[in-house]
Amino acid sequence: MAKTYDYLFKLLLIGDSGVGKTSILFRFSEDAFNISFISTIGIDFKIRTIDLDGKKVKLQIWDTAGQERFRTITTAYYRGSMGIMLVYDVTNEKSFENIKNWIRNIEENASADVEKMILGNKCDLEAKRQVSKERGEQLAVEYQIKFIETSAKDSLNVESAFYTLARDIKAKMEKKQEASNPAGARSGGGHQLRANEQQRKPTSWLSRCSLL
Amino acid sequence: MSGSSSVEDLPDQCKDLFTQDGVLLKACLGRPITDLNSIGMLCIVENHDNSKSIEWRPNDLITIDSDTQDQEWAVVNTIGISMSYAKGRRQRTFSGNITADYATARARIIRIPLEELKTFRVTRNNQQMQFSTKPGVWQTTFYFQHGNAEIFVASLKNHVKTAKTRHDRNTYVVVEPNTESQVLNKSFAELDIFTENTTDVVWNLVSNFKQRPYETTMEAFSKLTDIVYYGNEGASGKRDVSEEVADLLTKSMNEIDEATTVTTLTRQSDEYEVVTVNPMLPPRPVIPRGTPLSTEKWEGLQDTEGRVTEVDGVRQLIFRGGIARSIRHLVWKYLLDYYPWHMTHAQLKTLHKKRTEEYFTMKLQWRSMTEAQESRFAEYRERKNLVEKDVNRTDRTHPYYAGENNPNLLVLQDILMTYVMYNFDLGYVQGMSDILAPLLLLMGNEVDSFWCFVGFMDKIASNFEMDQAGMKHQLLQLQQLLMFVSPELANHLVQKDSGNMFFSFRWLLVWFKREFSHRDIMRLWEVLWTGLPCANFHLLIGVAILDAEKDVFISKDYGFTEILKHVNDLSMCLDVDKILSNAEGIYHQLVSSPNLPDQIRVTLGLPTINISTSTHSEADNNKPSTSRGTENGYPRI
Ligand SMILES: Nc1nc2c(ncn2[C@@H]2O[C@H](COP(=O)(O)OP(=O)(O)O)[C@@H](O)[C@H]2O)c(=O)[nH]1
Ligand SMILES: [Mg+2]
Repeated sequence: MAKTYDYLFKLLLIGDSGVGKTSILFRFSEDAFNISFISTIGIDFKIRTIDLDGKKVKLQIWDTAGQERFRTITTAYYRGSMGIMLVYDVTNEKSFENIKNWIRNIEENASADVEKMILGNKCDLEAKRQVSKERGEQLAVEYQIKFIETSAKDSLNVESAFYTLARDIKAKMEKKQEASNPAGARSGGGHQLRANEQQRKPTSWLSRCSLL
Repeated sequence: MSGSSSVEDLPDQCKDLFTQDGVLLKACLGRPITDLNSIGMLCIVENHDNSKSIEWRPNDLITIDSDTQDQEWAVVNTIGISMSYAKGRRQRTFSGNITADYATARARIIRIPLEELKTFRVTRNNQQMQFSTKPGVWQTTFYFQHGNAEIFVASLKNHVKTAKTRHDRNTYVVVEPNTESQVLNKSFAELDIFTENTTDVVWNLVSNFKQRPYETTMEAFSKLTDIVYYGNEGASGKRDVSEEVADLLTKSMNEIDEATTVTTLTRQSDEYEVVTVNPMLPPRPVIPRGTPLSTEKWEGLQDTEGRVTEVDGVRQLIFRGGIARSIRHLVWKYLLDYYPWHMTHAQLKTLHKKRTEEYFTMKLQWRSMTEAQESRFAEYRERKNLVEKDVNRTDRTHPYYAGENNPNLLVLQDILMTYVMYNFDLGYVQGMSDILAPLLLLMGNEVDSFWCFVGFMDKIASNFEMDQAGMKHQLLQLQQLLMFVSPELANHLVQKDSGNMFFSFRWLLVWFKREFSHRDIMRLWEVLWTGLPCANFHLLIGVAILDAEKDVFISKDYGFTEILKHVNDLSMCLDVDKILSNAEGIYHQLVSSPNLPDQIRVTLGLPTINISTSTHSEADNNKPSTSRGTENGYPRI
């Protein structure tokens, strides 16, 4: 079977409507930005394969509609996701306050060990800013989640945000692998495809991360 | 009851010998589909020349009749109980002041001369009666809503001599009167069944025989199509159309009865599990689309003062072919309940003035809100915020909404904000801007677009409600329909964790707006707004789209993600006319399926029959795959 990747990670973008989830995904998957993007109805996903420490990691990134009443539908897609990007809009106070609700939502619907990350998007709009970077950082500390400010428009930190989340997932997975199966034999790791090269190196990349 | 009082010697006069109320027309050769499932009265009448016929008259005709001063008709109509016997004589005079309405309604009467009647049979618990004037073709099927056909049969036997066939105790063969050949040799064309939509003829021929192995049926069907389409165009050397059709059908009919399998239900713990579902769908007729409603036709359907007199006719024309661009903006106002059909030009003018004032009153309500007020009104702010965001990302690729500072975006926003004031409880929900954009694009007028939007929202408001119950319900209905129409595909979806049909959420939420170009979505919407041929036809659109992709899904063994991706990628790749035609074909398959579950009947707005007795309970249909129910997410929605 000619699989073109070593790992498949399922990621999810959530956050209020209009914070820029679709734009972030579009930036990451197509490296483009479109001011007049259409609003998301229902659910969609995009694929991008990245190279992580010599491994091909296929990211399947799910984009959801933000409005609260569509949550029944969107939460159905939480299942099986390994990483979640929580997005707010730095020019919109309310979207920041709602991050707490979104976290609760994750706790109720996603698996307990899902990797999370908070993104404060639209940081290019300095003049309209309502949420300071410090408040974002504070929230992240409170929840023990990584945080970064992004701009889908100016292509700022979008790339590194996804790489970071993907690395975290990979590390966690490999750690689990090692713990449950020190001999290196294939285990029920789910998305792992080449188990034999698994336990090569410890997760030293953490130190390289410039994020909080 | 069948009193034989004298009949005056007037033309076109007849006397009811027996009447039975509450009889549904289930199938009839050459009838427009709109007539099917309409309720009426089945009668045995004596004509002025003493010949007798079976007649079925739609109830709305009876209403018209009662308007034209016939007292007894009026009585018959208002009784509305299972059965009423005509008391003595009743005169029906078709000469005199025949209105256009009356003439059309009259054309809908079904008449079967007893001289031509060959066989009839009683099925479905004595509730269904079928008539035939040709061997092998059940031309008309009636369903007795109240009570059953027993008394009618008894009455009929007073007028024709019958014998029961040996192999089928429910089928009666008429032995007398049997003036034979000449009558029976009349062609279908002579019998005047081609004056209506030819496709309905094709359909009804097919619907009258039960399903047989698929291939053979399709083969027979394609032959039929040829004959019906081309056979009646006057190719003189050709065999009589009726004969050929009858031949084909007779050939298949006998085998069919044996070929049908029945849904087998076995009891398993507390629930019933459907072991074999054989929906016994007849083959799908190919139904061509018509031409759009033209200006001339539209004007012809109005009286001099502007009232639309032929509402049913208009709807049917639109259903068949949509509306020509030139009058679309006008006709939409009617379809969207902004303009009442019966209003004159003058009345509409008044109405328009009133609605304009109303609109600007509501608009002023939010326009006059100060910033300070707004700062203390979180819910309003939130809605406003959502509207602004969505307006900026609605159909921006269309020239009408393209570019920076496009003034049309402001109109879009104003209408949506005014709608927030009109229906604050619902407020603004994502998807609404998609619904509005084509309306404004077409109307180009703020007030008209608003009221049309209100009309459209009235039809689909439940899609947007907080609890999403409407959406969940529709997803379930879609699943049930698919399970019946295409069980193989439905089961595949279930196996791939997609039984909840969430991948079609976008379709249903905004009525396929995202799947088609503006041009096509206008066509699709106007067809759907007619409410024809049944309730929830938009779900059959969904079924038609999925059914067309069936082979892809199954042969490529698409899983959960591929299914969603494939469905999303269908956007802008769909042929609206083809889909409409297929959906209509599916509708016909469903209505003539002998074992259509009540649950689907309810979805389509058909009367329920509850054919199945003890075993076919609600439980098995609500969960088409009981055994895998929970893991496939049904309870989640
Ligand atoms: N200035 C700026 N605008 C953005 C950025 N990201 C998104 N937007 C705009 O915000 C609006 C909503 O974006 P979208 O991606 O559709 O949000 P979603 O509802 O979360 O998917 C769109 O008009 C985007 O153009 C950003 O980084 N900077
Ligand atoms: Mg989006």
